[in-house]
Amino acid sequence: MDMTVTLEMDRVTLGYQHQPVLKDVTCRIGPGEIVGLIGPNGSGKSTLIKALSRVLSPFSGSILLNGRDISLIPRAVLARRVGVVPQMPLLPSAFTAFEIALMGRNPHLGLLQNESCRDMELTWQAMIRTGTHHLAGRRVGELSGGEIQCLLIARVLAQETKAILLDEPTANLDIGRQAEILGLIRELCRENHIAVLAAIHDLNLAAQYCDRLLLINQGRLYAEGKPREVITARNMAEVYGAEDCVYAHPKNGLPTVLLTAVEGRAKGRDADAVSE
Amino acid sequence: MTVLNKPPRGSQYGSGIPPWLWKRSHFFSVFGLCGVLVLVSLMATTVGSIHVPFLTTIGIILDRLSPAPDRGWPSFLATIVIDIRLPRIIMAGLAGAALATAGATYQGLFRNPLADPYLIGVAQGASLGAVIGFLLPGDWLGLGNSLIPVLAFSGAVGGATVVYLLARVGKTVPVTTLILAGVAVGALLSSLVSYLVIRSTSEVHGIMFWLMGSFSLSKWADVGAALPYITAGIIIILLYARTLNVMQLDEEQSAQLGVNVERLKLVLLTAATLITAASVSFAGTIGFVGIIIPHAVRLIWGADYRFLLPLSVLTGAIFLILADVAARAALAPMEIPIGVITALCGAPFFLYLLRRRKRQIF
Amino acid sequence: MKKTCWFLLLVIGLSLISACAPPAATGPSGTEITDQLGRITFVSPNPQRIISLAPANTEILFALGLGERVVAVTDYCDYPPEAEGKESIGGYSTPDIEKIIALTPDLILADSIHEKRVIPQLEDKGLPVVALDPRDLNEVMDAIRLVGKIAGVEAAASRLTGDMQQRISTVTALTGPLTPEQRPKVFYAIWHNPLMTAGAGTLHDELISKAGGISIAEGLAGYVEISLEVVVAADPAVMITGAGHGDDAEQTLRFLKTEPRLVKTAAGRNNRVYAIDANIISRPGPRLADALEELARLIHPELFTKL
Repeated sequence: MDMTVTLEMDRVTLGYQHQPVLKDVTCRIGPGEIVGLIGPNGSGKSTLIKALSRVLSPFSGSILLNGRDISLIPRAVLARRVGVVPQMPLLPSAFTAFEIALMGRNPHLGLLQNESCRDMELTWQAMIRTGTHHLAGRRVGELSGGEIQCLLIARVLAQETKAILLDEPTANLDIGRQAEILGLIRELCRENHIAVLAAIHDLNLAAQYCDRLLLINQGRLYAEGKPREVITARNMAEVYGAEDCVYAHPKNGLPTVLLTAVEGRAKGRDADAVSE
Repeated sequence: MTVLNKPPRGSQYGSGIPPWLWKRSHFFSVFGLCGVLVLVSLMATTVGSIHVPFLTTIGIILDRLSPAPDRGWPSFLATIVIDIRLPRIIMAGLAGAALATAGATYQGLFRNPLADPYLIGVAQGASLGAVIGFLLPGDWLGLGNSLIPVLAFSGAVGGATVVYLLARVGKTVPVTTLILAGVAVGALLSSLVSYLVIRSTSEVHGIMFWLMGSFSLSKWADVGAALPYITAGIIIILLYARTLNVMQLDEEQSAQLGVNVERLKLVLLTAATLITAASVSFAGTIGFVGIIIPHAVRLIWGADYRFLLPLSVLTGAIFLILADVAARAALAPMEIPIGVITALCGAPFFLYLLRRRKRQIF
Repeated sequence: MKKTCWFLLLVIGLSLISACAPPAATGPSGTEITDQLGRITFVSPNPQRIISLAPANTEILFALGLGERVVAVTDYCDYPPEAEGKESIGGYSTPDIEKIIALTPDLILADSIHEKRVIPQLEDKGLPVVALDPRDLNEVMDAIRLVGKIAGVEAAASRLTGDMQQRISTVTALTGPLTPEQRPKVFYAIWHNPLMTAGAGTLHDELISKAGGISIAEGLAGYVEISLEVVVAADPAVMITGAGHGDDAEQTLRFLKTEPRLVKTAAGRNNRVYAIDANIISRPGPRLADALEELARLIHPELFTKL
């Protein structure tokens, strides 16, 4: 249980129905680091997370957890090691928030086992840390998008895994909550040596909170490294078609992306289209 | 993970009891319904074409449990109560329990409130099997009277298997494909049934009567044949109650929470299909029970499968026993097909429940 | 506006003309016959091309020696054997109207089942249809006499009915004086799922009564469902069903013999579960006398050795 988790992808190609979305991706997420996954819309961020949680099987290459191929790890064991916060999932509206968060304990419960005191306490604690405890008795159908997002994070915290994959964990949150949640994740990551991979489309958040960044573009790993190394003017222009938008943060010097409004049609990716 | 905050003392969350056990009233409901089931069954033994006084009925049943030499009633009354009414009531109870449980299971697996036990071709397969049984020469394979139930059961299981195999995409069986395959195969089987029914002018009445469902000739041998399947199937499904809760999240999340989704689907579909097939083989295709009872239970007791399933078992059994009583008592001596009763009584009751409680139930 | 007026006038004019037109076809002239459904038809004397729409009617025709004149019968007309060689006009409830018309019959013998749909269609084409619908033994005799009268074979008809009457009297002479205690309770099963029997007012009931038995269904009327409980409570001494024509007809017999709840009745215990040829008892025709004799033999073997 206290074993840390290292996730590796070795030359992985994957996609849907014989159509590859990601090609030849090699990366590593180790304990105690937050890796940010950035890239344009549809670049394959969610697909990568699905592969790491074994929802999608790669066409080629292998995905390893602590050196073992994850397709050989039984699902229940995998769920105790890797937790996932999905983007906009369907939740059954008849259950309460607490019951949903409590489902995070499922990997630790046998077929005939029911939740124990400890499961309750862990779930409650997770809800307090994510600021969702006041929603505990409310039905999920009544919650807002942001509340659901925090609830899902509570669920993954209750799951007590050493690796957490987050798909757009802050998309619906206001700035305050964004800082809270990402701060919480960073704290947990450091405290418990959790390997964290977060797909974030807000480049500034990614720069501020992630130790390393993986920039995906057109199905390939375009760049990898510290935020300063990845969020460069050249990369932004190449990948996003956004010219001249990288500045240094006044407080800590980390790269900050700021857009300046232009009159007329913005110069987009299509203008310098590079066909694959 | 260091524990920072324990749940507040005095709140439910601090009681150390998991949420599904907070609803202590639900336990009383389970016991209460068991009692209601026994009472309803006893009441049902007193209803029939031949008038048997209530005390005589009790006497006959007690006598069967511990025989005494002196009997104050003619033996044909004992035959009526023990050999005609009791197996009929038990069969109705078993069928009701099976259909309601299967319905709840299908609704949970497909995450669809409109799912019912006949979704993947079970009813149509059973009908085809039964119709073939009606048309075959009488002593085919020496099965005699069991010919029709055996063929109906085979047809039911066969139909569901064909649907499952057709819906398989690689190693997974996507739920939408299953539903579509079920609809298509079901339509094909139904048309075959219709064709055979039209061609067989002499058997038509018998076939139509069978299809509409009846317990009029249920005997102990039928109960003995159906009981193992229905009991085993229901027990298996009950074991997976908590996992069915988790399955209410979509399949991706369930998989990410450690549920072996494909295996669970196979196990539960098999169990639900077997109990439905066993029920349909002896009782015909009785509609409404499988879709409405789970919803009524959800309206009253909530969506947690750990209560939904056992309560559906009990409610389904009680409902069908009462429906059978109505079927034979309402227009005596004629028997109304039980499918008519279940629809006539079930629909208004459900509408009433729905109007009273408008909260979300699924 | 003017065009509309002309158009309307045209339509009205045409309708009036067609209403005044002579009827499509007149009925044939001939003898006026009132059949057993109360219909009045005109049949030419001595019809030579007769079509039968019911097996019972076929049996009556052949028994009266009119077999030569029968042009077509239904698929189910299997007695006498000569009838099977005749042309077929389809099923019992679903005869092929066009085929009937094509055969240009001068007499069609129908049944009450044809009253609503088939007879109107045939009448529309101007064909002479006589419907037989006997409800008891006397009416069967009337039916035979009616056919005799229409076909001009009154002598054969009266011989046939006389013969039948004599055989019936032979049986009732022995069974008439029986007291209720001497009459065994009889359960006649028409079908087993649902369990159906023949109550008061049916031919089966009349025959059972004349054969010296009491039907347990005498409180019920017509062909009805009967509850298994009622049968068990009545404890019949004899159970009879119609069978003997192909495997599917044996089902009810097998049911009566093997159903665990019926095995315990007096009939089950004493092995008095019998099958009678379904056709002789359910067809209201000349073989009813055979049916009565067979029933009498089954119900009172002590009184009737094989006749």
